[in-house]
Formats: sequence, C-alpha cells, structure tokens
Amino acid sequence: VTTIIKQRLFAIATLTGLVITAVLALWVAPPDAQQGDAQRLMYLHVPTIWLAYLAFGITAFASLLWLFPRTRHATWDLLAGASAEVGVVFTGITLVIGSLWGRPVWGTWWEWDARLTTTAILFFLYLGYLALRRTGATVDERGTRCAIAALIAFADVPVNYLSVTWWQTLHQQGTVFNDKMTVEITGTMAFTLVFAVGAFTLLYAYLVIRRLQLAQLEEGLEERELQLAIAERVRAERAEQVVSA
Amino acid sequence: MDHNWGYVAAGYGVTAVALVSYVVWLAQRTRRVRRSLPDERSD
Repeated sequence: VTTIIKQRLFAIATLTGLVITAVLALWVAPPDAQQGDAQRLMYLHVPTIWLAYLAFGITAFASLLWLFPRTRHATWDLLAGASAEVGVVFTGITLVIGSLWGRPVWGTWWEWDARLTTTAILFFLYLGYLALRRTGATVDERGTRCAIAALIAFADVPVNYLSVTWWQTLHQQGTVFNDKMTVEITGTMAFTLVFAVGAFTLLYAYLVIRRLQLAQLEEGLEERELQLAIAERVRAERAEQVVSA
Repeated sequence: MDHNWGYVAAGYGVTAVALVSYVVWLAQRTRRVRRSLPDERSD
C-alpha cells in the first residue's frame, strides 16, 4: 500500500511539473525575436532528446552490468529494456517536434541533415533493439545478445550529439552546450528550459519504474505459464503410462 | 513576424497524446498481467 501511495505521489509530482512546464513554455516565456512563437517547441524538443540520451546511456550501463559475470542479474537486463523503450518514445517525440519546428523555421518538414539523419538512425537502432528483445531464446542468451546490441547502438549517441559540430549542416549548434561553451539562452527562457528538463527527468524516472515493474510481472507470468505447461506434460505422460500398463 | 501557433499547438498536442497513450498502455498491460497472476494484487 505504501508503494502505491508513493507511486501516486510521484505521478502527481510529475504531472504537476509537466503542467507548469506547459504554462511556462506557452504563456510565461517570451516569443523568440527571430523565430516568434515556433521557438516554444524547443521546450519539448530539447528535454526529450536529452532524456533520450540519458535513457540510452542507462540502457548501455545496465547492459554492461549484465555482461559482467560478477554483476549479472536479471534486473539489469529488464532495466535496459525498460529504459530503451522510454528512450524510443522520447526520440519519436523529438523527431515529430523537430519536423513541426523545422517547417515554419527552415521551410521544410525534413532534410537529410547530419543531426536529423543520426536522430532517425538512433530511433530505428533502438526500435531494432526492442524487436531483438522479443526474439525467442533463454533469458541468458537473450540478455547477452541484447546487451551487445545495446552497446553497439549507443555508439550513435555521441555521433548524434556531436553531429552539429562535425558537419555544420542545417541544424543549429547547441543552445546550451556548443563547441564555444557559450550559453545562448538567458532569463525566463533559460528558466523554462531548465524547469522543462527537470519535469521530463521526473517523467522519465516514473515511466522507467512503471515499465520495469511491468517487465518483472511479465517475467513472472512467463515462468508460471512454463511451470503449468511442464505440469500438464508430466500429467499427460503419467496418464499414457497408466493406459499402456 | 509569423507566430505559427498552429505548429506549436500541433507539437504540444502530439506530445500529450503520445505520452498519455503510453501511460494508459502501461497501466492496462500491468492490470492484465496482474490479473493473470493469482498471487498478485491489482492496483
């Protein structure tokens, strides 16, 4: 019961954070001098991709812990899967928001720009990883196979992050983290962005906890179904022996 | 300066729909799996 209350309080705190983010982003923060109100999409676009990076980072870290025999535990494998799934949701949102932002600002929904392309690759790499998690195998085989795939997929995260510095195509450089390390955002806009990142971090944590709990329950269900199938097989074999005797 | 509120509304709308759909799917799937496990209480 205490866990349920804690979870509900966590959900309420997350929801409150997101509602305040929407109010700050849509009403309190001023419009951008050049982009007008379209820039308000940044308060979703930036937090979702940063949290996607974090999600894939946690997937990679949990996968490493799974691969080391000393730290191997089923929870690391399930956490890797849960975090990757939330990361895919966030990356999908980033791509859609980016497209909606690009149309009025760049005049195009999509361009094969370095940042956009590597983000799309990131999305499909982790979609593939989630598909791999559903392939049939023993827990150990699946865990090892997926952990290696997660580490390979993570290589795209730094490439995606540095793509605006390396190639300098259509996508702008980082507003907060760029090669000159000059923060290009101040005042209410900066506060709104920081608040949005905090709210989305809470959301990420909430979603991963819920997804991990579901994964643990699913594993329990699989185990129970396996035990029932074995019991049924044993019963059938005994019945056959009785008939033949 | 063009304000483009339509794109902003679409962006916030799509995000809200995507996140709410994911949370609802998580809750429904969790309830369904819990119901299949006799020793688990539903929330």
